[in-house]
Amino acid sequence: MEESKTAGKPIRCRAAIARKAGEPLSLEEVIVAPPESGEVRLRIICSSLCYSDVTFWKLKDPPGYFPRILGHECFGVVESVGENVSEVTVGDTVIPVFMPDCGECRDCKSSKSNLCSNFPFKVVTWMHRDQKSRFTDLNGEALHHFLFISSFSEYTVVDTVHIVKVDPTIPPERGCLLSCGVSTGVGAALKTANVEAGSTVAIFGLGAIGLAVSEGSRLCGAKRIIGVDVNEDKYEIAKGFGVTDFVNSRTCGDKSVSQVILEMTDGGADYCFECVGMASLVQEAFSCCRKGWGKTVVLGVDRPGSNLTLSSGEVLQTGKTLTGCLFGGLKPKSDVPKLVKRYLDKELELDKFVTHEVQFEDINEAFDLLTEGKSLRCIIWMDQNK
Amino acid sequence: MDTKTTGRPIRCKAAVARKAGEPLVIEEIIVAPPKSGEVRVRIICSSLCHSDVTFWKLKDPPGYFPRIFGHESYGIIESIGEDVHDVTEGDTVIPIFLPDCGECNTCKSPKSNICSKLPFKVGPWMHREETSRFTDLKGETIYHFLFISSFSQYTVVDVAHIVKVDPQIPPDRACLLSCGVSTGVGAALKTADVEAGSTVAIFGLGVIGLAVAEGARLRGAKRIIGVDVNEEKHEVGKKFGVTDFVNSRNCGDKPVSQVIMEMTDGGADYCFECVGMASLVHEAYVCCRMGWGKTIVVGVDKPGALLSFTSYEVLHHGKTLAGSLFGNLKPKSDIHLLVKRYMDKELELDKFVTHQVSLEDINKAFELLTEGKSLRCVIWMDK
Repeated sequence: MEESKTAGKPIRCRAAIARKAGEPLSLEEVIVAPPESGEVRLRIICSSLCYSDVTFWKLKDPPGYFPRILGHECFGVVESVGENVSEVTVGDTVIPVFMPDCGECRDCKSSKSNLCSNFPFKVVTWMHRDQKSRFTDLNGEALHHFLFISSFSEYTVVDTVHIVKVDPTIPPERGCLLSCGVSTGVGAALKTANVEAGSTVAIFGLGAIGLAVSEGSRLCGAKRIIGVDVNEDKYEIAKGFGVTDFVNSRTCGDKSVSQVILEMTDGGADYCFECVGMASLVQEAFSCCRKGWGKTVVLGVDRPGSNLTLSSGEVLQTGKTLTGCLFGGLKPKSDVPKLVKRYLDKELELDKFVTHEVQFEDINEAFDLLTEGKSLRCIIWMDQNK
Repeated sequence: MDTKTTGRPIRCKAAVARKAGEPLVIEEIIVAPPKSGEVRVRIICSSLCHSDVTFWKLKDPPGYFPRIFGHESYGIIESIGEDVHDVTEGDTVIPIFLPDCGECNTCKSPKSNICSKLPFKVGPWMHREETSRFTDLKGETIYHFLFISSFSQYTVVDVAHIVKVDPQIPPDRACLLSCGVSTGVGAALKTADVEAGSTVAIFGLGVIGLAVAEGARLRGAKRIIGVDVNEEKHEVGKKFGVTDFVNSRNCGDKPVSQVIMEMTDGGADYCFECVGMASLVHEAYVCCRMGWGKTIVVGVDKPGALLSFTSYEVLHHGKTLAGSLFGNLKPKSDIHLLVKRYMDKELELDKFVTHQVSLEDINKAFELLTEGKSLRCVIWMDK
C-alpha cells in the first residue's frame, strides 16, 4: 500500500473540542502531528458515545482537563505509521481500544491478566511514551488527549499498544462498539465470570454495559437473566437482549433490592454484575449472589474516593467471591478479533445496540440523547461521505 | 452392638467454662443419649484452637456460659440415635464444626461447602432442636459450642458433623484435621488452588497460617512469605516451608503491603489473611498482584467487623477477594483425602503438635496458646 500524501506531515482537520466542563463541544479545525515512534495516525471513520466520555466531560477538576478531545469508542483506517511499527500498515482497518496490550510484558503474556504492566492503564491526558500531545488548536494551544484514543476527531494519533487490527468486512458502525462498552459487558460474562449454561444472572444497571452483559450471558446459555434498573422503560428494551425478569429498584417497597432477588431466586443469583458504578449497589449485588459459589463482578466506574464496605463475616462464611474487571477481562489484540468473528458469524448481536446516528457536526445531540437516557449507542460519523 | 450405656445418660468428666475468661472447671456432668440424627461420641483427645479462646473470652452473646468448649477432636462412637445409617457404634470419627448434610443443593455441588439445610452459625445448641444434651450435677443446662463441645469425655453430635476416618490414623494427629490444619491446607489447595511455582504471602503465622504454608508447600509454591508481629515465628515458619519472613512491626515508615510489593516486584500471586483483622485484609488485598492476584480471607474477625476497599482498586486491579470457611473443604468428601495424604507421608502433621496435657491440666493449654507459646496442644480425655 503506498504511503499517503500526508505521511510525515501535520494534518489539519475537524475535531470536537471540549473547552469547558459540561458545555457543548466546539467543532473546530485542529492540527494533528504525525505519529512518533511506536504510534500510528488514524483516519477515524466513526465513533460512538460512551458514558465514560460524559463522566469526564462533566468533571471541572482533575482528572477532568480542558480543552480536550474526548471519544474512545471508534473505528478507523491507518493513515500513516511512525518508526518501529510493524504490526499494522497504511490502509489497515483497526479498532483502537483504550486498554493497552503490548504483548511483551508478563501480564500481556499471561492468559490470566489483561492489565498490561509496560503501559499501565490510567486516565492521563497525554501519549504514553513522551507524555506530550499530538493535537494543537489553531491558536497553537495543546489539546488534552482522552484515554489514549481521542476519537472525536477526523484524525488522531494512537500508540500501537492500543491498536487492534480487524477484518475489514465488519461495518464501521458495528466495529466501533467493540472498542469499549459492548466488549466490556460481553467479556465480563464470557471471561471474567465465565457464566455457566443454565445459570441465573442478575445485572444491576441496564445501560449499554449491562445490556452487553446480558448479551454475553445469553451467548453462554444462562437460563435466567434478571435486569435491575430504576427506569421501567428499560424492561422492554432489555427483553431484546435476553433479560427474562425485571426488578425496578425504586418499587421494592420496604424490601431492599437484594432481598427481592434473594426471594425470586430462592437463595441468590449464581452471578451478579454491577454495571452502574455505585458502591451501595455493589454491596446489594454481593448480598444477593448465591451462598456457596456466587460471584459478584464489578464493571461500573464509581466516582473518585468512593469506598466499598463488606461484612467480614459474610466474606469469610458465605463462599462468595468479588472481582472487578476492566474491559471485561479481555485482552484487546487477541479477544476483540474473536468478537468481530462472532458478529460476522451472526452469533453476537450488535445491531440492537445502535439506536441513533448523527453526523460529526451534530455530535452534541449524541451527548443530549445519552444524558437524557434516550439512547443506547449513538454513532457519530466523522467521515463526511456517510 | 449394645453397650451398657446405650439409651441412658452418661456421667463423665468435662471442662466447663463457667465465666468468661476464667479457668475452666473440671467437673462431672450428665450427657444425655443421642436423639434422632445424632450420635454420642467418646472423645479420645481434643486440641485447643484459637476460636475456642475467642468465644471463651466473650462476656456477651455469642458468648454463653456455662459452656463446654472444644471443637477439634477425635473420638469413637459410643451409641447412635434413630435414623442414623452412615455410622455405627465403635466407628472412629473426627467431628467437624462445619455441617455436611449431603442432601441440599450446596452439599451436592462440588463448588461449595456451605450447607444450606443446617446452616453454620456459632450457636449454643444442638442443630435440629434448639436444646442441649449437657447438664451439670445441679441439673443446670450447659451450652454447646460449634455443635461439637469436645472438652468432655463424652459429647453428643449431629450426624451432619461426623466424619468417619481410617482407624489407623493416631488420635493426636486426626484431631488436627478437625479444624485448624484442614482450614489452612484447604485454603491453599482448594480456595486459592495455588499453582506450582507461584508466590504466596501469609499474614499471621499461627496454626492456620502455618497450615496454609504447608498446603502451599504441597502444591510446589516457589516462595512463601510469612508475615507476623512475633520474630520467633520466623524460625518456626521455616519448618512449614516459609521462605521469607516480614515482621510487620519492623517495616519503618512503609506499610507491610509496600514491603511485600517491593520484595515480589509487584505483589504475591496469592495472599492469605490468617489473623482476623480488617485492616490486615486490606493490606493483603493491596499487595496481591494486579491482574490475577487472589486475596483469601481465612481469619475470623470480631462480630460486626467490616472490610473496606476503594471502588477504584476493586475495579481497576483485576484482583479477586474470597473467604475460606474450613478451607472450602467438604467434610465428608475431603477429610479422608487429607487423612490418606498424612498416612502416605505427604502431608506433615507432627510439626503442628508442640504440647500435650491431660484433661485435668486443660487450663495450661489455654495459657500456652494465649501466651503464644504453643501451636497445637493436645488434651487427652482419659486419665
